[in-house]
Amino acid sequence: MVADRQPLLLALVDELLAEQGRLQTPVARFATAFRCAPVYHDLVPLSKPGPGEQYAFEVDLDSCSGCKTCVVACHALNGLEDNESWRAVGLIHGSLGPSAFQQTVTSSCHHCADPACLNGCPVLAYEKDPVTGIVRHLDDQCIGCQYCVLQCPYDVPKYSERLGIVRKCDMCQQRLADGEAPACVQACPTQAISIVKVSVTRNGATPPRCDTSTFLAAAPDPSYTQPTTRYISKKPLAAGLMAADAATVRTQSAHWPLVMMLTFMPMAVGVFTVTSVPAFSPGQPTTPDPTIVAWFGGLLGLASAFLHLGQPWRAWRIFLGWRRSWLSREAMVFGLWAGFATVTTMGSVGILPVEASLPVLRLATAVTGLIGLYCSVMIYVDTPREFWRWSQTGPRFAGTALVLGLAPVAPGAAACVLAAKLAWEFASFGGPAVPAQLMRGPLRRAATLRFFLGLAGGAILVSAPGWFGFFVTMGGEMAERYLFFRAVDAPKMPGGVRG
Amino acid sequence: MKAKVGQLLRARTGPMTSELVLHPGDFGLGRVPARLAPFATAKSVCGFCSTGCGLKIHLNARGEAINLTADPDHPVNLGMACPKGWEALTPLAASDRATKPLLRDQSTGRLHPVPWEKALASFVKNFQGIQARHGKPAVAILSTGQIVTEEMALLGALGKFGMGVLHFDSNTRQCMATAHVAYKQSFGFDAPPFTYADFEQSDVLVFIGANPCIAHPIMWQRVMMNRRSPTLIVVDPRKTETAMLATQHVALRPKSDLTLLYGLARLLIELGAVKEDYVSAHTTGFAEFRQFVSAFSLERTANESGVAAEDLVRCATSIARGQRVSFWWTMGVNQSHEATRTAQAIINLALMTGSVGRPGTGANSITGQCNAMGSRLFGNATSLLGGYDFACAADRDHVAGILGIAPALIPAEQGWAYDEIIDGIDRGDIRGLWIIATNTAHSWINHGRFAELRRKLDFLVVQEMYVSTETARMADLVLPAAGWGEKDGVFINSERRIGVTRKVARAPGAALSDFAIFQLVAEAWGCGGLFRAWRSPEAVFQILKALSRGQPCDFSGVANYAQLEACGGIQWPFPETNSADRGPEQPERRLFADGVFFTPTGRAAFLFDEPRPMPEPPDADYPLILMTGRGSSAQWHTGTRTDKSAILRKLAPTSLYVEINPADASRLGVTDNARVEVRSRRGSLAANAYVTAVVQPGQIFLPMHFPEVNRLTFPSFDPHSRQPSYKACAVSVSPLAE
Repeated sequence: MVADRQPLLLALVDELLAEQGRLQTPVARFATAFRCAPVYHDLVPLSKPGPGEQYAFEVDLDSCSGCKTCVVACHALNGLEDNESWRAVGLIHGSLGPSAFQQTVTSSCHHCADPACLNGCPVLAYEKDPVTGIVRHLDDQCIGCQYCVLQCPYDVPKYSERLGIVRKCDMCQQRLADGEAPACVQACPTQAISIVKVSVTRNGATPPRCDTSTFLAAAPDPSYTQPTTRYISKKPLAAGLMAADAATVRTQSAHWPLVMMLTFMPMAVGVFTVTSVPAFSPGQPTTPDPTIVAWFGGLLGLASAFLHLGQPWRAWRIFLGWRRSWLSREAMVFGLWAGFATVTTMGSVGILPVEASLPVLRLATAVTGLIGLYCSVMIYVDTPREFWRWSQTGPRFAGTALVLGLAPVAPGAAACVLAAKLAWEFASFGGPAVPAQLMRGPLRRAATLRFFLGLAGGAILVSAPGWFGFFVTMGGEMAERYLFFRAVDAPKMPGGVRG
Repeated sequence: MKAKVGQLLRARTGPMTSELVLHPGDFGLGRVPARLAPFATAKSVCGFCSTGCGLKIHLNARGEAINLTADPDHPVNLGMACPKGWEALTPLAASDRATKPLLRDQSTGRLHPVPWEKALASFVKNFQGIQARHGKPAVAILSTGQIVTEEMALLGALGKFGMGVLHFDSNTRQCMATAHVAYKQSFGFDAPPFTYADFEQSDVLVFIGANPCIAHPIMWQRVMMNRRSPTLIVVDPRKTETAMLATQHVALRPKSDLTLLYGLARLLIELGAVKEDYVSAHTTGFAEFRQFVSAFSLERTANESGVAAEDLVRCATSIARGQRVSFWWTMGVNQSHEATRTAQAIINLALMTGSVGRPGTGANSITGQCNAMGSRLFGNATSLLGGYDFACAADRDHVAGILGIAPALIPAEQGWAYDEIIDGIDRGDIRGLWIIATNTAHSWINHGRFAELRRKLDFLVVQEMYVSTETARMADLVLPAAGWGEKDGVFINSERRIGVTRKVARAPGAALSDFAIFQLVAEAWGCGGLFRAWRSPEAVFQILKALSRGQPCDFSGVANYAQLEACGGIQWPFPETNSADRGPEQPERRLFADGVFFTPTGRAAFLFDEPRPMPEPPDADYPLILMTGRGSSAQWHTGTRTDKSAILRKLAPTSLYVEINPADASRLGVTDNARVEVRSRRGSLAANAYVTAVVQPGQIFLPMHFPEVNRLTFPSFDPHSRQPSYKACAVSVSPLAE
């Protein structure tokens, strides 16, 4: 019985499909008359900040009900990528006397009085607006080194693979300039977010300060960057509140090019330094010459660091941040080192006629290398991450330099230093700290590999001195550097229940 | 030159900076991304929940939606929307959209694309074959609260009058059946009396089993706009986001709500809060009710509900002292083994305190789905089109007259409810099933059983936007449907507001609007002649107007879509007869201001029953009570749409978690974020523990959006509404080895 109606049905299918595909022309049916835009004046200040003031977000916790509209409105009204938003909503919970307590918390860039992102940027891709205090990211200046991601204790700048740069909240400065409220402010159904003016003390040489007493208790320590966001509430916030994701341990990105660079460069610096000490000058020439290995490895490391950048062709500006950024300093010093190391190596193999100056060149290479290595250490020490403090980063980087520097010329000594380093590293595996949890948990296999390669490298160095033991040891150091990046405990604003 | 050097050293402009440049959006918008500047805007009502927010869709020159913002002129949401509304367009572009009809090849067992005519031929051959072999009722339909009213009506008419389907229900059984039955019995018609302005005009707001902060953020916006310093009372076992913001949190034991409400009624009587004039003029059954609740002493109520006596007294006193008291309930009430009586216990409190029909009052059911009320009035499932009665011959004649069909085509018999259809499949009475825009295999209670029952169905048709839903994957035939934003029609929201939703995007491939699919099925089935007048959604809207005439839900005064759009929707009743004095410009209206109800006597009824214990109480083997519910504002039901938005996914938990009280956690050796197994008599699942005092000891909570959750739930149903009780079953929790 269907067959009889087939022609009719076919025509109807075609007609309905055509109808389905037809949209009304906007002008014909939909166009809405122009009306005054809603700008929510009452949620932004009427005047620009005066001297000693800046704009800040104010979050009324008593109004924040956890709908998360701010996050999506930021995404939609700023035309961000599919999963990109410059706001996030977390949850803190605990007990207030006998009753349970939970509070959702919306957060964005805190437009800090003393922004770590800005201070660490090697190319000055951040600027703090002198009038509004908005910490603005210059997207066309950014080289995509992601150092600001490591620097910010609130996990604000986010890297975009598509663009090869980071992006972050600019407090909708284009809207504010017009008296229109930022996207999150205008979209909040309960008007929990507003823009206020806060005082910032700038006192010559000391870093700028603002009142952080209204900053969120369960967030990372505000003394570091002086975040300006005010979290206000009429009810007392319970003591001992925890982020809902407090027990979620997260591994961080490996940053493979940096793992490479931070293994090869200490090796190169170590070899050049050790061989510049007359006592360790190789008695008989080994093949290949350690200098060549170090030079080649060092350049490979630097190239690798270059490739880590999302926008490598903008990297020539990297000197701009030298006043404040250890990354800028490291790049400049290692640039110089590359020159010294190249001339020294070319001289030592006789390509360049600099034989007379070789000891001086070796010394210059060693000294610039050590300064560069110090800068490398400081890059990580300068972040708010516990696992990267001096006492952790210094011995790791210096230890790698020493072990791999000694290995070609004094394998026994190298094995001893390596044994000490392994024992010291092993101690960091215990305890409740997040890096230890990660290395015992999700990073267990990498940690096992690190010790296997370390022990094997040491054993080979002692039993059969030569390049094989050297490279196995270097593999172990590389695994240690991998753990250094992946197991770090990165501070952030409280997150939600992750499941 | 200096500028050039400056730009060279520090690039303040360039292509990446330009990506984020904002332009004035015009059309009453603020600044918008320059690359998404609209050519025009269209108005449309959101298609997720029943709040019914007005959205302004930004269109490009070709009339295609490119972005949206909340409509500042809409009387519901006043320029705001929740995350789902903001992201309403994104799920349309998902890669798993159904773009062609898919038919299961019997030899390979796989779904293959087929042209529409083949799909329709298969539909007709299989369903007509089943009806020929097993009788017409052997084909059943499960519909939805997510499609437009015109589509629901066409489906209802096609199914019952054209295809002879008797057993026809919809997923509104899971959310609103209780409110429907409770109102019908108490008020004489399924008529939520309120308007959203009541949120702003109350002195005392009592939320029972409702978490609007998460489930209805824009309604909560209206509560926050209340400038009367209201007392907010939240009755909920969990310390929800809403409970946190309440003046009083009444943390009762799960499923002790009926006792608690009866206890409050007795307290109110003792406090002299009964408005005797109102009760005697406008209600029936109060004397019996007064007698009945005298058994619910403060001590008994406190004991059975677990709420301290002084908290009960404080709550009752607040209600007694309030000038404008409003009661609001949602799924915590509707999804219960004694849901209808619980809803009516709330209605009773409102009636006895005279809290109906005045600003800021009412016994108010907050609806779930965007068009649950459209389904209740025009789905033709439980009620005959327009809220009429299948059993009444006069009603059948009246409806048949309006539709121009033979009255004999309208069945007098009541069909089965959702759970009875499921049981019918099990018994072999139902052999063919047509599911439209719902995800039974995920959302139905104790759904492990549904997967099993699938094998008993000779033919399963699933009409869906996505090929990937748990239910679509089980189908013999998948009919690709257009979604919200790809079709026209009206939704009816929680406050009875009829609003227009618009086609602003093209459906992918050969997907068709549900309306067009029903038209095709009618033609293929051979009953197209019945529906010649049902040419388009707007033509059907005119038929619906005619059906509503003279009913409580009369909206015959509405001219057309354009008028609805211009007014930001119109609330029923809006009859032709008095549309002059109750003009559409009146943005808010509530029912029963005159105290006249829709019952034959014009009086509202006090209805009550003795509370019954929960059907599966905790015991030694399964010592904890499992509650389920909405987990985040970024997830909608089974996630078929919201999971398609990357930004919404970011706002939701990445995997299933279970809320467990610190006391239970430490007793069971469960630490925060540890893997645990949750087990009921019907199944088990693994989840990450979220150790929080938000749930009381002895109770756990699972968000309903994850497919495994309803493996555990216990299939008990309210006897009046047949709504499943999702929020109480006995489970055990044990740590899993890492």
